[in-house]
Amino acid sequence: MNRTITMNLNGIIFHIEEDAYDKLNKYLSTIKGYFKDSEGRDEIMSDIEARIAEMLSEKVSSTKQAVLLSDVESVIAVMGKPEDFADDSERKESTENTNSSSDENRTSYPNNKRRRVFRDTDDKILGGVCAGIANYFDFDPLWLRAAFAISFFAFGSGFLLYIILWIIIPAAKTTAEKLEMRGEKVDINNIGKAVNEEFEDFKKKMKDFGHEVNSKENKEKLKTTAQKATEFIGDVFHNIIHVFGKIVAFFLLFIGIVLMVALLATIFGSGTISVFNTSTSTIHYSLYEFCSTVLPGSLPMSLVVIGIILFIGIPLSAMIYSGIRHLFGIKQKNRIVKYFFNTLWLVGLCLMIYIGIKIGNDFSEEATVRERIEITQPTTSTLTLDLKALPEDDIDATYYHHRKHKIDLGDWAVISKDENSFRLGYPSMSIQPSETDSFQLIAVKKSNGRNKKEATGYAKNIDYTITQKDSVFTFNNYFEIKSNDKLRAQDLKLILKVPVDKIIFLSKRMEKIIYNIENISNTLDDDMVNRRWKMTKQGLECIDCDGLDNLHKHKTGTY
Amino acid sequence: MNIENTKAQMKKGVLEFCILSVLSSGDQYPSEIIEKLKDAKLIVVEGTLYPLLMRLKNDGLLSYRWEESLSGPPRKYYKLTPVGKQYLKELKTSWNELVDAVNKIIDKSN
Repeated sequence: MNRTITMNLNGIIFHIEEDAYDKLNKYLSTIKGYFKDSEGRDEIMSDIEARIAEMLSEKVSSTKQAVLLSDVESVIAVMGKPEDFADDSERKESTENTNSSSDENRTSYPNNKRRRVFRDTDDKILGGVCAGIANYFDFDPLWLRAAFAISFFAFGSGFLLYIILWIIIPAAKTTAEKLEMRGEKVDINNIGKAVNEEFEDFKKKMKDFGHEVNSKENKEKLKTTAQKATEFIGDVFHNIIHVFGKIVAFFLLFIGIVLMVALLATIFGSGTISVFNTSTSTIHYSLYEFCSTVLPGSLPMSLVVIGIILFIGIPLSAMIYSGIRHLFGIKQKNRIVKYFFNTLWLVGLCLMIYIGIKIGNDFSEEATVRERIEITQPTTSTLTLDLKALPEDDIDATYYHHRKHKIDLGDWAVISKDENSFRLGYPSMSIQPSETDSFQLIAVKKSNGRNKKEATGYAKNIDYTITQKDSVFTFNNYFEIKSNDKLRAQDLKLILKVPVDKIIFLSKRMEKIIYNIENISNTLDDDMVNRRWKMTKQGLECIDCDGLDNLHKHKTGTY
Repeated sequence: MNIENTKAQMKKGVLEFCILSVLSSGDQYPSEIIEKLKDAKLIVVEGTLYPLLMRLKNDGLLSYRWEESLSGPPRKYYKLTPVGKQYLKELKTSWNELVDAVNKIIDKSN
């Protein structure tokens, strides 16, 4: 006596003995496993099940109602083992034996022969990356190897790129993959051909679609037609996106590599990168100088380096990675790696925010210190104001010859000379009437800091000198910030108080520092130089402005 | 070199052609196709047919429709598409050429 199971196969009910059921079930799941990669698996399976149901129904009758093990065995014998009938081209070959057949399928089914990029481990120096890429684009790997070898020295960027490629490009392990690696060349003709094929396919589908719509017979068909329509619209979009994807991927890769080299150069290189500045020429900037001038002393520079690598380096790596993946159609995604890098990026973000807050905190308080600069009263009634000419030994002249040793942060500059760096700022000067009958020079020193005390300290440390030769005042181009002081928005305003009836002469060079000097005729700063001005009760009045064009005057009411 | 393997490869190559030819005489469902191919000793195991039918269908050479059957569940009737007919025509020509060529070679070597 045997137990039977009731089984529904393709809509037919069978009573099947337990052992026969197990056998059949195992057989069907083996077939299913065999067609794992085929797109039409479910359809093939239902066809096979239908056929088996048909055969089994011939084996039962009113006198013999149950399906026996022997029945299943004979059905399996008729159907054959999966390895006997599975379509070669639907599977991935890995054995020598099936090589030739995979090659044949390759030529008869154009969709399968498109070339893919693999690492060529048969022709490798390190990981076979260069050989693989050279195979893909059909050139001698020697050139690529040379390029990589050279770029190893470009702050290791080539090395990093090589490692990234090594990780994401799979090695050609099986013979099928090796063949795919050398598959049909990817060039313009082929792309054209592929596009044409897609288009023909498209036309054909269009036609079929039309036919089917015309001959609407039953609901089932309509359903498949609707499915086909969506499928085919999906195809069209897929193709368009595919082409755009490749273009975008290329740019991603290109920009990613350029930025990565720039990043590595900034961090590890002694050199500086130049960023175009809107007003003057360029701002020269190096990470080390940023840290030594702006970063609070409590934060080590390594923290900034780590922050930058995580915060900028990871997205750049991701850009390069996804560029390569899409360009070469590599399907490989490691979730754990993704989460790992996402987390690292968040750490980098937090670090950058922390550093930003720390720096911002150091600017939170502002302090102003007013100091009188000692001058002796000139003997003549005319005071000449001049700016120091820049002789060869001046720091500023050195800066002109060694432009790259200077960084320019808005109102400040950092100049390196003889391994000492000087933090400099540009002063501005205004002229006011004096309450007394003597000349006075006031320095208004301003700075920010973590607290009032620190800000005051920084402000006091602002060092500015002028030289006086009787009635000639020679101003300095810059004020200096103490060499250990950080840049905390130090600022210097000079106020020259001129007594009524005294005359001042502004030299041409003074236009660099004078700022919005009020006068009766509303003359612009640029036109005030090279002229004598007399302080009256109303304000400064020009003595030799006769030839001055009205156009150069301020229009009243503009400010 | 395995003789059975070579024979199987030879058969495999013409199998698609034969399926298309069988269907050129009218719409049929898989069991009928199998019957004819078995009679001609072209296939040994029936399972071979299903992946092939699927591929021909996916390549647009075949289409199918469901039809009620008196003795059981609905059956899938396969039919040649216009593309399939064209394809078959070309295969016939090249088959005849191939047979001629092979025969010529065999005659000469005998």
